[in-house]
Amino acid sequence: MKRGFVVLQVLALLLSPLGPVFAQSQTLDKIKESGVLTIGTRTGSPPFAYINKNNEWVGFSIDLVELLVIPSISKEVGKPIKLTKKESTPPTRIPLLNSNSVDLIAGTMTDTPERRQSVDFSLTFFLTGAQFLVKKGSPIHGINDIAGKRIATQQGSTNAKIIREKVPNAQLREFPDQPAAFQALLQGQVDAYTNDGIQLYGLKAKAPNPTDWEVVGDFFSEEPYGMAMRKGDAKFKQTVDAGLKQGFESGKYFEIYDKWFGPKGELPYPMSPQVKAYLLKQIGK
Amino acid sequence: MLDPGVIVRNFKFLIVQGFLGIGSFAGGTLRLAIPAIVLGFALGIVVGLARLANAAWIRVPAVMYVELFRGVPLVMVIFWMWFVIPQLLRLPIPEYGVALTAFVIFEAAYFGEIVRAGVQSVPRGQVEAARALGLSGAKAMRYVVLPQALRNMVPSLVTQMIVLFKDTSLASIIGYVDLTKAAQIVNNREIRPFELYLFIAVVYWICTYSMSRMARRLERRPSTA
Amino acid sequence: MSYQFKWSVLWSGQSGYWLLQGLITTLELSALAWLLAVALGILSGALRTVPFRPLRAAATFYVEFFRNVPLLVWMFFWYFGVPPLLPRGVQDWLFDHGAEFWAGMFALGVYHGARMSEVIRSGIQSIPRTQFEASVAMGLSVWQAYRLVILPIALRLIVPPITNESLNLLKNSSVALTISVAELTFQTRQIETYTARAIEALTAGTLIYLVLCVSIAWVMSSLERRYAIPGLIARVGGAG
Repeated sequence: MKRGFVVLQVLALLLSPLGPVFAQSQTLDKIKESGVLTIGTRTGSPPFAYINKNNEWVGFSIDLVELLVIPSISKEVGKPIKLTKKESTPPTRIPLLNSNSVDLIAGTMTDTPERRQSVDFSLTFFLTGAQFLVKKGSPIHGINDIAGKRIATQQGSTNAKIIREKVPNAQLREFPDQPAAFQALLQGQVDAYTNDGIQLYGLKAKAPNPTDWEVVGDFFSEEPYGMAMRKGDAKFKQTVDAGLKQGFESGKYFEIYDKWFGPKGELPYPMSPQVKAYLLKQIGK
Repeated sequence: MLDPGVIVRNFKFLIVQGFLGIGSFAGGTLRLAIPAIVLGFALGIVVGLARLANAAWIRVPAVMYVELFRGVPLVMVIFWMWFVIPQLLRLPIPEYGVALTAFVIFEAAYFGEIVRAGVQSVPRGQVEAARALGLSGAKAMRYVVLPQALRNMVPSLVTQMIVLFKDTSLASIIGYVDLTKAAQIVNNREIRPFELYLFIAVVYWICTYSMSRMARRLERRPSTA
Repeated sequence: MSYQFKWSVLWSGQSGYWLLQGLITTLELSALAWLLAVALGILSGALRTVPFRPLRAAATFYVEFFRNVPLLVWMFFWYFGVPPLLPRGVQDWLFDHGAEFWAGMFALGVYHGARMSEVIRSGIQSIPRTQFEASVAMGLSVWQAYRLVILPIALRLIVPPITNESLNLLKNSSVALTISVAELTFQTRQIETYTARAIEALTAGTLIYLVLCVSIAWVMSSLERRYAIPGLIARVGGAG
C-alpha cells in the first residue's frame, strides 16, 4: 500500500510539469457547454447572501462571484457566463457540490483542514471568528459561561463542532439553517446563538429591535471563509483564484467590501489592518 | 401584538411566487402539485396493474416497488433524489426536477395500491362475463373492469391526491420556493411566525377542502354505466 | 470521478451512536404522538356523534382543518408560532425541557389525530346496522350486542387501516428534523455533514426505516390473518 502510494507520488511529480498543458477541467467544460455557473449560497445570512426586502437574492459573497469570479471564468472559457443561484445550507453544501448540483459554494463556508479532505477551497475572502449573540444583559459573556445553557447553532457548522468538543454539557440545539436558529434566539427558546461574529452583527442589524441584542465574547475559533469546489479540479480552482486575486490586486475587492461593510454599507464593519494583511499575504503582498 | 399587515405587505410574494410559481425563484405549489398528481397517478396505474399480473417477473418487482416506497419517509426519498441520483448519473437536476421526480415515484406506490384495490373490488363475474362475450383480456380490462374500478376508487384516490398536495410543502426543504418556503423567507426578515404560518395553513386548507368537497359530489353522482 | 464507497463511516467515530440515538428519538416521538393521535381520534370521533351541535361542530372543525393542512406547516406553527403567545413562565419551562421535541410531538399527534378520527369513523360506519339489529333480535342486550358482535367486527375492520395510519405517523416523524428534533433523519444528515458521505448515510437511514416499517406491517398482518373471521373480507379503504 505504502509503496504504491510513494510510486504514485513520484509519478505525479514527474508528470507535474506536463500537468497544466493537459489539464482537463470537468467543471469548466460543463460551464462552457451550458454557459451557466451554478453556485450554492445562503438565503438568510446577511450581508453575505440573503433575500432582501424586494425579494432579491443579494450579498457580499454573491457580488464577489458576479464581479470577480465570473469574469475570470468567462475569460477562461471564452464566452459570457450566466450565474444561477441555488440554496445551500451547512448540512447540504458538500453533498450538493459532490452531486454536481452546484459548481461552487459561495456563502459563508469556513475553510477547515477537515473539509479540505472532501472539497477544495479558493483563496480566503473573509476572516472572522465565532462569538455569541445574546439578549442585552445576558449572563453569557463568552464560551466560558455556556455550560448547561441552551445554545443554538447551525447543523454541520464549525461552531457546533467546537462547542460539542469544548463544552460538552452545553445544551446544543442544532438547526438546519440560520434563520430558524436566529428566530429561536429572538423568541427566547435558546439563551444564545453562536456563529461567526460578522454574521451575528448582520443578523442583529436586521432584527426587529437591534438594540436589544449584543454580540459577546472573544473569537473562540478562527473562521476564514473560502469558496468551495469539487475536489481535484485544479484548473477550475486556478480560474476561481485568479478572479479573486485580480480583485485583491486591482482594489475591486475592496470596493465591493466597501459597498457592504463600508460606512454607508449594509453593515458598517471596518476591515482591521491585520485582516487586510492576512488577505493580501495570500497573493504574496 | 398580532400584525395582519405582514400578510398584506407580502401577499403578492406569497401567492404569486409561492403558490403559483411566477417570479424570479424556482418555485410554486401549484406548478409542482398538478403535474405530480397527474404523473403520479399515471405511474400508479402501471404499478397497480403490474401487481395484479400473472407473470411473476412483472408482479414481483411491482410488489417490491410498493413495499420499498411505502416503507420509507418521503423526506428520505427527497434526499435520495437530491444528493444521490445526480451523483450516480453525474447529471445536475434542478430543484423542480428533484421534487417532481421524488413525488411521482413516491406517490405512485400509494396510487398503485389504490388502483389494485379498485380493480380487485370489481366482482370476478364481470371479467368472466366479458370474456364469455368474446372480449380479449386487455379489452375486458379496458372496457369492463377499469371503468367500474375507477368509480370505486374515487374516494381513496382523492384522499391520496390531497395527501400529495400537502406533501408538496416538503419541497421547501430543498430550497424550492413553494408557499411554505415563501412564508419562511418572509418570516426570516419580519419574524411574524404565527400570522404567516396560520395564513398559509388557511390557503392550503381552502385548496384541500374544496378538493374533498368535489370528491363528495362525485361520489353522490349516480353511476352512468 | 466515479463514487468511491466507504461504508466504514457508519461504524467508525460517532456515527453508530448517532444512528442509535436518532432511532430512539424517532421511536419516542412516534409513540407519544401515536397515543395523542389515538386519544384525539377517538374523542373527536365520539364527539361527532353527540346530539349537541356546538360540540359536533368543534369536532368537525378540528378534523377538517387539521388533516387538510401540511404537517410541515403545523411543525413551524407549533414550534415558532405558538410559544411566544404563552405566558413567560410556561415558555421558560418548555424551552428548558426540549421545546422542539414537544412541539414536534404535538404537531404530529394533533395532525394524525384528525386523520385517525376519519379512519375510525369510516371503520365503524362500514358495519351494517343490520348486524346490530340482528343481534338484538336474537335476544342480546345492547351491551352484549356491542361487546360480542359490533366491537369484535369493528376492531378487525379498523386495525388494518389504523396500522397503515400508524406507519404513516412513524414515517412522518421525519418532518420534525426541520425544527431541530434530533430524530433518525436528522442524525442521518449529521453523519452526512461530518463525513461528507451522503450515499452511505442515507442508505443506513433508509434501511432502518424500511426494516422498522416492514416488520411492524408484517406482525400486524399476521395478527390480522390469525384473527380473521372466515367469510368476512370487507376492508376499509384507507390510503396515504
